[in-house]
Amino acid sequence: MMFSVAILGVLVALTLAVVRALKGPTAFDRLLAANAIGTSAIMLLALFGFMTGRPEFLDIGITYALLNMIGTLAVLKFFRYGALGHAQDPAKEREPE
Amino acid sequence: MISVLVDILSWIALTAGAAFYVIGAVGMTRMPDLFTRMHSVSVSDTMGVGLLCFGMILQAGPSLLAVKIAFVVLVLWATGAVATHALARAALHDGAKPLLAAPDGRLVPTDCVDLFPELGVRLAQPLASETPEEGETPLPDDGATIAEPAPGYGPAGNTGANPDAAPDPTREDR
Repeated sequence: MMFSVAILGVLVALTLAVVRALKGPTAFDRLLAANAIGTSAIMLLALFGFMTGRPEFLDIGITYALLNMIGTLAVLKFFRYGALGHAQDPAKEREPE
Repeated sequence: MISVLVDILSWIALTAGAAFYVIGAVGMTRMPDLFTRMHSVSVSDTMGVGLLCFGMILQAGPSLLAVKIAFVVLVLWATGAVATHALARAALHDGAKPLLAAPDGRLVPTDCVDLFPELGVRLAQPLASETPEEGETPLPDDGATIAEPAPGYGPAGNTGANPDAAPDPTREDR
């Protein structure tokens, strides 16, 4: 029962994050929402595993938690340099307006 | 007796965690600009996640499960801060202007480089993790190597680097 309440709260938060991801004016807003959706998914996995008495789901949650930040950083680096895995050229560095 | 106490504590932690989570998400949809949205997401990323996992740890009892949940919390707390920091830095670098209050109280997009001149200097510098180490030749980055794979691209394990460049002493072939 207590897990159902928590799952309900996380689902509401997940919906609001999806709204922000669809609405977000800039790519950074969408990325922020994607990060929040990932965190919500981890909490959903853990709580759902507890609710159904199969806490093995936690292992999937751990994997997802480790992948989440790597994904965000990779997308950010791609935005900034247009490529992954290349050293930067300081001369081409964009100056802030 | 003890189990009832644990259940009550668990109830409190889980409902409070869910409340924090929803509050953070509401802030993310209603806040006016990117930086305030990041601020409100941090509410659900710290207190929400922490309280939810605390409630689950109480239900798990002293077992491997509790250790796993604690690991999830620690990973989320560490990576959430790093990801938010990288996001803010990338947005500032991209020229995003935070909304700041003008003297008449209106929210105006303000170039924070004007307010904090040292921030512009810091943003123009590469991150410490991006500066090449001493004794390491930086890899050449001229768009051409990205577009077409070099002819010598193959089993040498020299992925992505220009084969004509000086060999990188820190990159060992494994």
